[in-house]
Amino acid sequence: MPEQPLLELRAVTAGYDRRAPAVRNASLTVAPGEAVGLLGPSGCGKSTLARVAALLHRPDSGTLLLDGAPVRRWRHRAPRAQRTTVGVVFQQPRLSADPRLRLTDLIAEPLRATGRREDVPDRVAELAAAVGLTPDLLGRRPHEVSDGQLQRACLARALVLRPRLLICDEMTAMLDASTTAALVAAVEDYRTATGAGLLAVGHDHTLLKRWCDRTVHWDDVTSGTSGTSLEPSVPSAM
Amino acid sequence: MTCDAPAAEAGTGSTPWRSYGTKRRSTRTVRVRVSAALVAVTVLAVLLVPPLAQLDQQAVDLAAELQPPSWAHPFGTDDLGRDLLLRCVYGLRVSLLVGLVAALVATVIGTAVGAAAGALGGWADRCVMRVVDTLSSVPHLLLGIFIVALFRPGVVPVAVSVAATHWLSTARIVRAEVLSLRSRPYIDAAVSGGASRWRVAVRHLLPAVLPQAALAAVLMVPHAMWHESALSFLGLGLPAHMASLGNLVQSARSSLLAGQWWPTLFPGLFIIVPTLAIAGLAGAWRERINPRRRSELML
Amino acid sequence: MGHPSSIGADAVTERTPVLSVRGLSVRFLMPGGRRVAAVTDAHFDVAPGECLALIGESGCGKSVLASALLGLLPANAQSAGSARLGGLDLLTADEKTLGRTVRGRLIGLVPQSPAAHLTPVRTIRSQLEETVAALTGVRGRAAVRAAARAAAERVAFPAGHLDRHPHELSGGLAQRAATALALVGDAPLLLADEPTTGLDRDLVDRTVDELRRHVDAETGDGTGRGLLMITHDLAAAERIADRVAVMYAGRIVELTDARRFFGSPGPRHPYSRGLLQALPDRAFTPIPGMPPELGDLPGGCAFAPRCPRATGACAALPPVTDGLACHHPLPASGAEELRSTTPAPENARA
Repeated sequence: MPEQPLLELRAVTAGYDRRAPAVRNASLTVAPGEAVGLLGPSGCGKSTLARVAALLHRPDSGTLLLDGAPVRRWRHRAPRAQRTTVGVVFQQPRLSADPRLRLTDLIAEPLRATGRREDVPDRVAELAAAVGLTPDLLGRRPHEVSDGQLQRACLARALVLRPRLLICDEMTAMLDASTTAALVAAVEDYRTATGAGLLAVGHDHTLLKRWCDRTVHWDDVTSGTSGTSLEPSVPSAM
Repeated sequence: MTCDAPAAEAGTGSTPWRSYGTKRRSTRTVRVRVSAALVAVTVLAVLLVPPLAQLDQQAVDLAAELQPPSWAHPFGTDDLGRDLLLRCVYGLRVSLLVGLVAALVATVIGTAVGAAAGALGGWADRCVMRVVDTLSSVPHLLLGIFIVALFRPGVVPVAVSVAATHWLSTARIVRAEVLSLRSRPYIDAAVSGGASRWRVAVRHLLPAVLPQAALAAVLMVPHAMWHESALSFLGLGLPAHMASLGNLVQSARSSLLAGQWWPTLFPGLFIIVPTLAIAGLAGAWRERINPRRRSELML
Repeated sequence: MGHPSSIGADAVTERTPVLSVRGLSVRFLMPGGRRVAAVTDAHFDVAPGECLALIGESGCGKSVLASALLGLLPANAQSAGSARLGGLDLLTADEKTLGRTVRGRLIGLVPQSPAAHLTPVRTIRSQLEETVAALTGVRGRAAVRAAARAAAERVAFPAGHLDRHPHELSGGLAQRAATALALVGDAPLLLADEPTTGLDRDLVDRTVDELRRHVDAETGDGTGRGLLMITHDLAAAERIADRVAVMYAGRIVELTDARRFFGSPGPRHPYSRGLLQALPDRAFTPIPGMPPELGDLPGGCAFAPRCPRATGACAALPPVTDGLACHHPLPASGAEELRSTTPAPENARA
């Protein structure tokens, strides 16, 4: 028997309106330790698929398997252990960070939410160093740092529970070249150390080809059925 | 590019720095300062005058009834010869107390209901909001009169009746805010980080709506004062002997027809001026809590 | 076409820049007396028919520079220096002048997110017609309608989509609609602030190619438009720019010819080199560390703490020589060649 995939999406259809789903019949696998790049034009529904894979959005139909086990519940209803297997980083750091939390608390929040308070000082210091945040930045709130610095904190937050699968949804689309390279390097360091899998969603072939072991195009994922942008595009992704 | 030493760096004084938009800011500052001063005077008067003044606001002096403003009685006297300045301060004290209690209770109910409806969504949300819609369709004052009529006149029934009719708008505001926040990626990130429904509500949603709810509460204080005055004016609110602003205006009605303006004017001013001052402060606060303004530095 | 602006009555030649920025500085006064030096001593020109790309990472001050040119600085900002466009200094112009003669007429703004820039409740046609009526001398219903259609045609916006609302358009079409609005006033300077953020590569290419076309197109007075494009997307900059200005910590540290910058001999400032080397089709290695706080800049070269070539000299502020602010630039093969091929008019410095 071949190695069991870490993540497997089978014929997933999902969206915000049942009559016009953003994702139709999408299938995709990520093997343990593998880095998969999902390429697609903006507005095609790939962010919705990323949310399904992160257990944040319940699909209308289809199956999601994590470690071979089918996922039956989503969001709060999903078992906590299953939810925290997947770490997720979104495109816009401003919207992904609670504006009231200092960066330290932002990074530590998942530890506190899962009752691992005692790990906070060590893990935060370790991850801040890994993503290149200096101690003086950790004491600031989101509106006092730049987009790049905030995205570093969001990546640290995604890694703080040591997920076995990391989903990066257009993580670097808003960032400059150097910050992009730094964030990708931080993700790769983490994957080398832990053997975690990666699903990187984006539209930049050059970046994803360089970053990932394997890239798949949206049209191939949704195999034949057109999920790609019909002209009056549904603003589904965000 | 020139090779000249950069002129701009040294900063202090040496370069002609030009400023922007100072004028608009100053008028706003004046408004805030005036409002703050008025609120401060109101609060001080209400807190300090009753314990410090040796005079009895209920002291009846029939020999001095309905005297126009003078040095002895700056606001004049009422139809029983009582000093109107003192009566107004006592009246404001009662009205402010009713307003504060009612606003506080209404905000707590409204925030709890609105946050629960918004956070739970689905059927719970729909049911709660239909109840809110139904209650909102009944005129406030009518509902208030109904509630007051069930009890003996006093401060508590009036506060309850105002609170019970005014949590609806807060519930709406809070629910709308929660609904817009619920779809933010940072809530997704919290869920993905293992946060429970309760933790998301208490740690991420509630703190985000509190400034809005608090603002609604502050704006509700003058509104509740108006309601108290209206109920008292109709003779349904506080007992007639109690110096509330509504009672003062009510009892001055007859003398107004006889050309005595002061027993109506001064209590009326005591209703209007604190209302405007509180609204002015709340408006400035609303601008400050808008996070978009705070991050105007464009970095 | 009645050109509303004046590049200047005095001898318009190819060499007269559209925009001429000298010593532009912007700082913010923060609560508690803190000063944030968002832009410091920027010098550059934009010539007609030329595209200057201003590149740098987020938070380096490039958006503040754009806001300063448009007169959109917030109330706690202060500015110094000058930015001359035609006969006007944009930094000292009052709000009335800016509103009536600058925005739309002298500077066409291509926005960062067209979806947010367009009014959601009105059709593209009505927005175009309104802009035509406001910015040009065209009068009369039929004439305005025709002019709006012509404006849409200019950016290849399909006529069949004119009656749609912004949310019914794809990202590319929304971008074209926004560009059409920016071009209506036939402004001599186009200012594009991160016009490609969040777009797909294909769409980025299409967008910048279109912008390039508008730069090359003749304007009313027979010269080209100038384009100042602010971006962090180096690939987009490479595709469109004639010259590149690299901004770091509020200062322009390198200003050079785009072909030489992206090709051979490459950038000469260590920061620019690091930025290029971070691209995924190059070394894909980040510059170590992070940019300094604009509110707490070091006295000397702001890049020194991250610079592999830093020496003791870097404690002093590097002077700007040949469009380069560095004590120990990377070697350029043939400095003579640099001077002879750089088309930039302001290199013939005063």
